[in-house]
Amino acid sequence: MVYSSLLFIYGFFPLSLAIYFLTPKKFKDITLFSLSMIFCGLFSLKFLFFMLVYTMVNYISARLTYRLKWKEQKYRKFMAIPFSAGILFNILSLFAFRTELFSWILKPFHLQIQNFFPVGISLFTLSATGYLIDVYKGRIKAEINFIRFGLFVMMFPRLIMCSVVSYDNFLKIWRKRKIRLTELGTGMEIFVKGLAKKIILADTLFSLYSAIKSIDTGNLPVLTAWLGATAYILCLYFTLSGISEMGIGISYCFGYAFPQSFNYPLFNSRIRHFSAKWHVQAVQWFRKYVLHPFRSVINAKYINIFISVSLWILMGFWYKFNAGGIIWGLIIGVAIIIESRLKNTRMLKSTGIIYTFVVTTISTVFIANSNISESFRYIWAMIGGNRIIADSLTAYLFRSYIIVLLVGIYASTDLFGNMINRINKTRFRIVTLIVSPVVTVILFAVCTAMISYTGSSENMLIQL
Amino acid sequence: MKNANKISALILFAIIITISAVTLFGIKGESSGEFPAITWENFFDGDFGRELVSYTADNFAGRNELISANARLESSMGESIVNGVYIYENRLLSVDTTPKNTDKSAQAVNEFVKNYNGAVYFVAVPTSSGVYGNKLPPYLLKSTEKQQIDSLYTNLDASIRKIDAYNILKMLSDNYIYYRSDSKWTSYGAFCVYRTVIQKLGFMPVSYDKYTIEHITNNYKGNLYSKTQYMESKPDLLDIYEYSGGAEVTDCKGYDNNGMMYRKSLYDREMIESEDMYRLYLGGKLPLVKIRTNVANDKKLLVIGDDYAVCFVPFLIQHYSEIAFISPDCMEKKLNEFLNPDDYEQLLFLFGIDTLYSE
Repeated sequence: MVYSSLLFIYGFFPLSLAIYFLTPKKFKDITLFSLSMIFCGLFSLKFLFFMLVYTMVNYISARLTYRLKWKEQKYRKFMAIPFSAGILFNILSLFAFRTELFSWILKPFHLQIQNFFPVGISLFTLSATGYLIDVYKGRIKAEINFIRFGLFVMMFPRLIMCSVVSYDNFLKIWRKRKIRLTELGTGMEIFVKGLAKKIILADTLFSLYSAIKSIDTGNLPVLTAWLGATAYILCLYFTLSGISEMGIGISYCFGYAFPQSFNYPLFNSRIRHFSAKWHVQAVQWFRKYVLHPFRSVINAKYINIFISVSLWILMGFWYKFNAGGIIWGLIIGVAIIIESRLKNTRMLKSTGIIYTFVVTTISTVFIANSNISESFRYIWAMIGGNRIIADSLTAYLFRSYIIVLLVGIYASTDLFGNMINRINKTRFRIVTLIVSPVVTVILFAVCTAMISYTGSSENMLIQL
Repeated sequence: MKNANKISALILFAIIITISAVTLFGIKGESSGEFPAITWENFFDGDFGRELVSYTADNFAGRNELISANARLESSMGESIVNGVYIYENRLLSVDTTPKNTDKSAQAVNEFVKNYNGAVYFVAVPTSSGVYGNKLPPYLLKSTEKQQIDSLYTNLDASIRKIDAYNILKMLSDNYIYYRSDSKWTSYGAFCVYRTVIQKLGFMPVSYDKYTIEHITNNYKGNLYSKTQYMESKPDLLDIYEYSGGAEVTDCKGYDNNGMMYRKSLYDREMIESEDMYRLYLGGKLPLVKIRTNVANDKKLLVIGDDYAVCFVPFLIQHYSEIAFISPDCMEKKLNEFLNPDDYEQLLFLFGIDTLYSE
């Protein structure tokens, strides 16, 4: 059961919200934790067991590290043991489920794990690992309350692709949590926004992309190739930010105000802006926990180059766990470096949007294809290697999808939000009071209609 | 801005609660589909959750209206493909791009034929997308049903006589040989193929003008319609072909998996009032139907087929004293437990190509 399913929107979500609301304050945490267990259990009991074991291992590992560091000072030198055991467990389970490692290990034993992917593992592994590092470094205390720590790892509004936050930030958010109508309103508005991004835009753009994907790359005309790549990058953005916004919106309804992950990264005039707005929390995590220690090791002259390139390579690898992801990161990283060396930045003001769009779109081809040579053949088609500009199919697809593409491009910029904000500053404020609920309700109704046949929209594009 | 949020939240929760309540307490009265089984394995593997999602969708309040609204919206917003159905001017066509093959079915048929002594005939019928494929956007035509049928025929044992239905139907594609709202052929489509098949089986076909045709309903909405709840043209006709001067059915019995016997007729007119009108032909889902006629030639035919065959069998009764119709879809036991195939000197397989992918 993903967020974008009828069962969740019309069943689990309102029901759990009502239960949570009616529970006395003292028991709210344990209620939310139990609800999260039910949520995991509805995915499968396997998933629930895995989550509980995962949370337990991290909890114990942090507790032991903390005790050895502060309480049993004479054994302090052993504190690396529980710490590295925890980190190893996290990284191994990440690799086990994201790559073929698991089936490779299990092969000699003739065991098979079929149809099991702990959804969200890439994100909660980042959160949990960051927490272990913070405890080890002595930045925070190890949490003694298992329920609260359980909420940090597996509370259901956060489970699928929500923002990565550090534990002290989580505690701040936890302390400030409250359910009021305003929070519910903000939450529902963010949720519907995410839902619409996922169901209306991402799913429709995905059918455009898969239509183009079904054509042999060797005969792909230039315009069709560009249409496909554009559809893919928009689809990727709407899928990731949509699912993440749904999670954030639900969290808001439960009183938790998590930060946004995407801040209109596409269609900016600099790659630098793209990189500062794309998947912000995850990027910051890699910067803080993986790359920060290198600052003391590497010569200050090269540190910026090193950090931006390896940061994006890490991001790409984390997305795909293959060489394509690494190439994506390499292109973005190198482009940032080149851009920062440019002398004449005035030129970028007018042409910047096009250049940023071209670089990000071409690099995303490596994320779209699991096979590198296929990616190169696709890019070859994009630069006209097949010697065809367009054919009748290009016209057909263009005609069919032009509305969605234009709406998608408009929705991926901050134009609409800015307009609302600007109106709010004038005396026509009353307009937004009507427009905003009307738009929200219409989007919500359309989303319901679009998933009414299958009951859910589950395509995640990349399994994070 | 804050007030706008509050208004949205109140409206949305009002909608959610109303729709959930209507779904839960149901205005429909009866639920469609089965509630997912509560077993350990189901929970452990996550099938329970998946099935619950689709169960919710099947019983969702206003489901048909929502699907219909979505079809209109999606076909105007993007391509005219909705839930795997292409909405073409006057008909619906199924669009399925997943790669598939018929190897398993071919194997099963070859295996069965090995132990059978009589003459075997095979007809694979294309779906409406196979015959009207040229109406689809060109990129969807990578592997056509023509190729699928050809490869199936080459995989079948050489002793099986294969009959080409594809070209007959393709040639007649201007006629009403396929339902507009369904992937299956109409009775007329079946009749056109019958003319060829019956000659191969060794008889002269009954000509078209001998039949009186009764339009039993003009409101049939097929499997593709149920996915879109929307089409631009009228619903379909279901026809009954009656040959008043010809042979008559003396006895028609259906058997279920427990061997229980039901008295049947070739057409079960009451089904027109039911949800699934198509069960009109041979009265619906039974693994075995035995038909005896007053044709005095002692010839017996065994037909193994699917939904395409049920409207085909009525044409055959003019030529045989006994016909047994087996539908593997409804069969839970082995075929030998129903009858002995060697009692029948001819065996006809008649399947839609889409049925043969899965088996």
